Amino acid sequence: MKNINMSQLFEKLSDIKALFQYGQKIVPVLQSLVDFMQDTGPLLENINHSIAESTAKIPRATDQISNVTNATELATTEILDLVDVISNSLNNIESLLKELISTENKKNEIYEKLSILLAGNPEAGELLKQYNEANITIDSIGNIIQYFPKIKDDTYNITLSLQVQDITSQQLASVTHLIESVQDRLAKLIRDIDDADLKSPALPGPPVNFTAPEGATFDPNASYDKSSDRQDMINDLVQKENMKASQDEIDKLFS
Amino acid sequence: MSMKFLVVDDSGTMRRIVANSLKNLGYDSIVEAVDGKDALAKLAADDTISFVITDWNMPVFTGLELTKAMRADAKYMKMPILMVTTRGIKEDIIEALQAKVNNYIIKPFTPQILKEKIDQILAHVQ
Repeated sequence: MKNINMSQLFEKLSDIKALFQYGQKIVPVLQSLVDFMQDTGPLLENINHSIAESTAKIPRATDQISNVTNATELATTEILDLVDVISNSLNNIESLLKELISTENKKNEIYEKLSILLAGNPEAGELLKQYNEANITIDSIGNIIQYFPKIKDDTYNITLSLQVQDITSQQLASVTHLIESVQDRLAKLIRDIDDADLKSPALPGPPVNFTAPEGATFDPNASYDKSSDRQDMINDLVQKENMKASQDEIDKLFS
Repeated sequence: MSMKFLVVDDSGTMRRIVANSLKNLGYDSIVEAVDGKDALAKLAADDTISFVITDWNMPVFTGLELTKAMRADAKYMKMPILMVTTRGIKEDIIEALQAKVNNYIIKPFTPQILKEKIDQILAHVQ
């Protein structure tokens, strides 16, 4: 019996020894865990500081976007003003050239009359002929005028291309809204970190809203797409809606 | 042409582009408004306005709200309304049509489309 007790005692001692040996191994691990926890504090502090700093910079970013929108609108207005000036100048030049054609026609009539009157004076007749040849011809003025519709079309197309300003300003307004949504979330995160007593974990908030809010003055899906696909789809819908209305009217007649 | 247009858009650039396009089509009589509320004030102040071209997304009062307000008023119930907007999603277009816009153009528009839609509306109205 004593032998059994002794062997049990040795077993227990052996277990205790193993425990101490394990403890010796685990102490450094626990130490490094404590060190890690101590390091995490400043790290979290840094993260909090970084978030606060980023959040503070967001209004500047939205201001810069707003400045870009204002600058492009100003530049677009200047381009539109210049296009108007060019269009007016073209109209004036065209009118002047048309007046010139009218004057040339009158000069031609006078030339014909003078040619008859100077028929008996070959020298004077030759001089008159040379004078007439040195004049601008109606054909050359006509050649210049025929370029005008093309130039007018091109200047008008510049105007139409400036629709891009309205579309990009809506895209930028959408980005601004997105940034402001992120700012709200970051601000909430900072509040959560500051208020955290580690009593309860912070619950994730609603997802950042990527769609336009109610009453937004922009279209988040605005795009400068010159293909006719979307307009074709609209035309189909309008046609269907009109057909539906017509059917409603027919139905009313029979009811 | 004697028709007077009301061009409603919060973007000065777009108002000018639409107005220039109308002038190119021979319509010289144009009034501008910066949003739906301004448009209603312009309509109330000027009985000779006979055609409205409006954007959708605008501050204060949108183009859709303007359309609904006009259709709810006997005075403007039949007045042609053409929506010119960037909103190209099917649901938006249906919503606008249900609010009784006469037709719908997506930005960027071409002068051909603008002429086609105005002609279609006028042919339908007359």
